[in-house]
Order: sequence, then structure tokens, then C-alpha cells
Amino acid sequence: MNYPVWEPAMLGGGIVIGIIAILHIFVSHFAVGGGLFLPLTERKAYRENNPALLEYVKSHTKFFVLVTLVFGAVSGVGIWWTISLVNPEATATLIHVFVWGWAIEWVFFITEIAAAFVYYYGWERLDRKTHLTVGWIYAVSAWMSLFIINGILAFMLTPGSWLESPSFGRAFFNPSMLPSCLLRTAVAVALAGVYALLTAAAVRDVGLRVEVTQYAAKWVLAGTLVLPLAGLWYISTLPPLAREISMGAAPAVTIFAGLSIFFSALVVIFTYFGPYQHPRFFNLTFAFVIAVLALSSTGVTEWVREAVRKPYIIYNYMYANTLRLEDVTRVRQQGILRSARFVRHHEVDPQDMAGSGKEVFQVQCASCHTVDGYNSIRFAVKGWSRDMIEYQLIHLNELKGFMPPFVGTEAERHALGAWLAGLNPQPLIHEPASPGVQAGNPESSVPGAAKP
Amino acid sequence: MNPVIPAPVPIPLPAPPWLIQLLQVFTFILHLVFMNLLVGGTIILAVSSYRGRSDARHRDLARRAVRALPPVVAFTITLGVAPLLFLQLLYGQLFYTSSVLMAWSWLAVILLLMLAYYGIYWFNLQQEELGPRSFWVMLVAALLLLHVMKTFTQNMTFLERPQEFYLRFLAAPVGNYLGPHDPFVFARLSHFFFAALSIAGLGLAVLAYTWRAESPDFAAWARRYGLKWFQAATGIQVLSGLWFLFSQPEPIRLAFLGRDRLSTGLLVVAVALAVLALLAARKSLAAATVAIAGTIALMAVIRHLVRLEHLRPYFDAHALPIQGQWTVFGIFAVLLVAGLATVGWMLYQFFRPAASSAATG
Repeated sequence: MNYPVWEPAMLGGGIVIGIIAILHIFVSHFAVGGGLFLPLTERKAYRENNPALLEYVKSHTKFFVLVTLVFGAVSGVGIWWTISLVNPEATATLIHVFVWGWAIEWVFFITEIAAAFVYYYGWERLDRKTHLTVGWIYAVSAWMSLFIINGILAFMLTPGSWLESPSFGRAFFNPSMLPSCLLRTAVAVALAGVYALLTAAAVRDVGLRVEVTQYAAKWVLAGTLVLPLAGLWYISTLPPLAREISMGAAPAVTIFAGLSIFFSALVVIFTYFGPYQHPRFFNLTFAFVIAVLALSSTGVTEWVREAVRKPYIIYNYMYANTLRLEDVTRVRQQGILRSARFVRHHEVDPQDMAGSGKEVFQVQCASCHTVDGYNSIRFAVKGWSRDMIEYQLIHLNELKGFMPPFVGTEAERHALGAWLAGLNPQPLIHEPASPGVQAGNPESSVPGAAKP
Repeated sequence: MNPVIPAPVPIPLPAPPWLIQLLQVFTFILHLVFMNLLVGGTIILAVSSYRGRSDARHRDLARRAVRALPPVVAFTITLGVAPLLFLQLLYGQLFYTSSVLMAWSWLAVILLLMLAYYGIYWFNLQQEELGPRSFWVMLVAALLLLHVMKTFTQNMTFLERPQEFYLRFLAAPVGNYLGPHDPFVFARLSHFFFAALSIAGLGLAVLAYTWRAESPDFAAWARRYGLKWFQAATGIQVLSGLWFLFSQPEPIRLAFLGRDRLSTGLLVVAVALAVLALLAARKSLAAATVAIAGTIALMAVIRHLVRLEHLRPYFDAHALPIQGQWTVFGIFAVLLVAGLATVGWMLYQFFRPAASSAATG
């Protein structure tokens, strides 16, 4: 509201964040889990005096570096880019609360990157002990950056006692921080196995391939074993509304929550009966199938986590449209158009109700809705009469628990209503005289006639 | 018309502005060193891989020097995070607005950076297979990085012009603005461009120095070649710097031409150090490197002062409320020292002579 609103055509800001974030999460959790996988497997190779396994770790390191250091690092910056474009107000708030947390995370990020390069280039240059130590430095730094980012992310859903008395400690050590951290660590371990299956399937030597395949499968199973309990613990810390949304109140979210469990279960089943039980028959295609299932699971789970936070972006502090709860009364009196800075109409223009209403939509609704694309508003209000629209706007947050209330003056609500009503042909007001015979206003029944 | 600037976040700053600015400038200097090596290095290697089609020394140079680039890219990005974080803390209202107004172009940075990064790895890992085509890979990477540099220059310039925000908002759908394109931006960009070539040239000379044991003749040639880039680019940089200085608004220009002692003094010392580096380069690489590091650091400080001047009419960070988060800042400071020590230890282990002899042994 404070900032100009960017409306990426068709996608909406949420999807732009979602695409980058899901890919990043899929890779960054691998960066963390792989951090454990590399030194542990290297140590295993030394202990068992197994040069073939060591060669595998070396080749896996190259794959690891290409995926995590490049895509992982750049896409992580990419999330930061997109959240600040889509939701600058919330980003600014998080940075004010957590700047030193991010600064600490940055220290671990530097250490992690340096360790990754020294590990990657150091296979021949360093002695075993030093090389392994560098591997552990990588593992600790990578996990610490997860630990910190997780605290910030968990804060958005459960800010806890920070709301009453703000401090860094209260914000960071919030109610869902620990279970979420356990959940993410388990996912990281499982994903380390998923990626290792990809490189294992490419090993030429049959004996080694069988050994590494089975070993990687154990990582997947070990990580996923923790998920149900960690998941229950996590759910128990969520606000009641968030639980309701994921468990039936919002069907789409419930379906996605179900899919999250379904995909995770498929990963376990495929891994158990595939690479774990029958490593000889395992191949690259199978490895890709497991990776795609794991990516799907990551995708829907993160989507659900974002969805259950509605109607807020920072729970009980800031609505998804960046309006702070503390500002609601003021904006209601003053008007949203007068409160927003980057608008053409600073108040409702009676000569241009639809134009004014469209701007109300842009500053108040466009952070979740597009006009014609994702979460399309034209589709959402299809068949709604002016009265219906008016009623919905007045009771928005009561009728749809996952939406913020409409905040603005009465004139602004009328303007928004006028614009919304113009998006579709007005519905028929009278019952049809007989089946198949249209009644009502002939003009408005022409598709597109009432478009703005 | 009054400039339209979003209201600051109603949460106090977690540290006084001087500390944030200090960290911002310090971390920016680190970023600048690697960014210069990256952009300049990619251009120099693109040239070498072209000349390498008929000149074996250039082919060899590209093959060897490119190994240093992946860490340079990684650290350019990583070290860029901190200054941008502190910038957002202090100047978020300006930065977010300028970024949102040029959202598509700003977001493209991520994609282009990733493509350039993979291009550099491709060149690094498959140079033999690529053959003469390796030139095109490096050229594209260099062009992508130059575009990223241009976008950064544009956004950082635009955020210093809040008086234009509302006009740009009215002129085009939000996100479609491509950023300022005027002589000031190009003067600023050319200043960065030649700095990159200069620093990367010097960096190449330093890198060549590390090759002296294994192939002394080649190392000596590569060092001279790097210094040629350094000297030529630094020479042109004097002209580019003058262009940039004279494209500044009058009060800022005059401040650096004698009206303000501190500003003028800093500029004189920075330029003097660059000249010193130029003169010392042939004789002592170490002296030149130290002198040029001084220039980079001072230029970063000057850049900060110029930003404050540009923003003075619109924005004063010192007016914002402060509530220091000192405990967690203390943890950050301790971890920063520990983290840098760890990185130092790892680099020591990697580069110590025993390590390389162990490899050959």
C-alpha cells in the first residue's frame, strides 16, 4: 500500500515467489543435507578403505557444487529479490526485526561457500583429516544458515510473544521455530539421499552402484522416518485458524495438504521397494521419478505452509496485502486511496467509479489476486450481483476466513464494487420464464458487454 | 511537486545509522573487489579465448585463469548480500520503490546472473570440448554480466532520485520501467567498467605470480599482459572519472573540487593512490595491490558521501528512531570474526606450500 504495486501479468506476485522459492527450497535443503552426506560418506570410505566409494564421493561433490553453489545460491538471492518486489512492506519489516539474524546467516553463508570450494578443489591438495574437517565446517555452516532462515520463516506464521513485546529473541525463538527446524532438517537428510540416488544411478561399476544406491536409499528412509512426528509437533504449534484451513475449511488447501502426505508416502514406498530392496534394478529413470516426487512433495508442502498463513503475511501483525492491523482504523477513516501513495486517484472520483475501484483493487487485493490469471478476481465474482458484491465486501473476513477485511471508506467500497461488477456480465435477476428462455436485462446478458 | 516516498517501517532501527553505514560501506568494498575481478576477468578471458585461436599463450592463459573464476562469482554474490541488506535497512523506502518500478528488469538480474555463472562453469569444465566456440561462451557470459552491472547502476541511480518516482509510476505500468538512461548513468557505468578492467588486470598479474614456479616464462608473460590491462584501463579511468565527476549535479561537483575539504581530500588521495599503483606496478606488485585496495576503499566511501548528498533534500536516516539490539549484534560481531578466521584457516590449508607438494607427491 505504501509502495507501488507490481502486477506480474497472469501469474500474480505469489506465483512468481512460489516458482523461485520451491525450486530454491528443493536445492537448498539438498545443500544442507548434502553437507552431512559428503563428510559422512567420505569418512565411511576411509574407514572401510574403499577407494571406489571415495571416487563416488568425489564425483558427487562436483554435482553438488554445480547444483547448490550456483543454482542454490543464486535462487536464494532470487527469493529475496522477488519478496522485495512483491511485498516490500513485509520484507522491510522482516529486515528491521531480523537484520542481525540475516547478518549472522551471511557469515555462515560466506563460510559455507568458502568451505564448499576448498572441499571441491581440495581433494588432491589436502590431507584426509583436513579435507574431512573442511567437510564438517561446510556441514555446520550450511545447517546454521537453515537454522537462522527457518527462525525467520517460522516467525511469519507464529510471531508468538513478539506481538506483545517486540525483541529479537522473542521473534526468533517463536513457537513453531523448533519443530519447523526439525522438519526441515529431516527433509534435508531425505533430499540428500534423493540427490545421491541420482548420482548413484549414474555409477558405471555395478558393485559400487548397488552399494551406493542402497546407502543413498537409507538416507531417504531415515529422513522421511522423522517426518510424521516432526510434522505433528509442527501442526500442534500452529494458530487454530491455520489448522482449520489445512484440515477442511479451505478445500484447495486441504487437498494440497493431503497431496503433501501422498507424495511423501510415494517417495518412501518407491525408495523402499526400489533402490533399497532391489538396488540392482535401479536406474536413472527411476531416480528421476523419485526426484520428481520429492520435488512435488516439497512444492505442495511449501504451498500449504504459505496458504495457511492467510489472511496474514505476518500473523496477527500484517495482512497479506501488507496492511498492518494497527493501521486498520486509521485507513478506514482516512480511506485506502488517501493512505496509498502510488495511486492516480487519491480519492474516489464519482465520474470514474470503475477507475477508482480498480485502483482500490490494486492496492488492496492485487497481492493475492490477478484480474484474469492466478486466483482470478474476474472468475471469483462471476455471477455476483452488485448487492452480492457489496455484501461480500462488507463481510469479507467473516465469509472467507482466509481473507483480510475490506479496509476503506464507504465510497471506496462502492467504487471497488462498481469495478468488480463490471468485470462480468451482470447475472440474471429474474427466474427464466421457462427453461432455455433468457429473461432480464438483455444488454447485460451479452457476454463482455459490461466489461470495463 | 513533493517527491512521493513510502513511509518508513514503524519499527525502530536495530542500530544507530553510523554503524549500519559503516558495515554497509565495509562489506560493499569487499563486494567491489570481487565484482571487479569477475566482470573485468570475464572480459579479459573472452579476449584471450578469441586470441587463443591463433596464439597458444592466450589459449593457455584462458585455460588456467578461468579456474579462479567460479569462486570469484560465488564471492561476488555472497559478499554482495551484506551491503544490500544494510542498504535495505536504511534506505528501504527508496530501494524498494525504485526496484518495484523497474521490477522486470531488476528481476531479470537473477536469471542473467545464473546463466553467466553456468557459462563460466561450462567454459571451465569443458574448454577442450568447446574448442574455438569457448570464445562465444565467455563473450556471452561477459555481456550478461555487463548487463547486470548496468541494471545495478541504473537501480542505484534511480533510488537516489525519489523526485522521479511518482512520474515514473504514472508513465508506465508498474515494473515496466527500464531504469534511467541518461549521460549520468553512462558516466557512472563507464567508471565501473574501466575499474573492473583495471582491477581484473592487476588480479591477473597477481594470479600469474602464483604460477611462477611451475612455468616461469609463461608466468612472466601473463603478468606483463595483466599489467597492460591494468595500466591501460587505469589510464582511461582518469578520463572516465572526470566525465563522471562533471556529470554530477553542481553542488556535489563543487564539493569534490575544493569546496568541501573532506570530499576533496578523499578524492585527491584516492586518485593519488591509483597513480602510485600505476607507477609501482612493474616494480612491486604488492605495493600496487595495496595502493589500489586503498583506492577502492576510498572510492566506496566517496560513493557513500555522494549518495548522502543526492538524498539530502529528501531523506535523513538520522531522523529514524533507534532501539539497539546489542546482544544479537555482539553475537554477529563474534561470529563474523570466527567465520573470517575459519575461512582464513581453510585458505591457509589450501594454499600452504606443503599442500601443493602433497598433491604432486
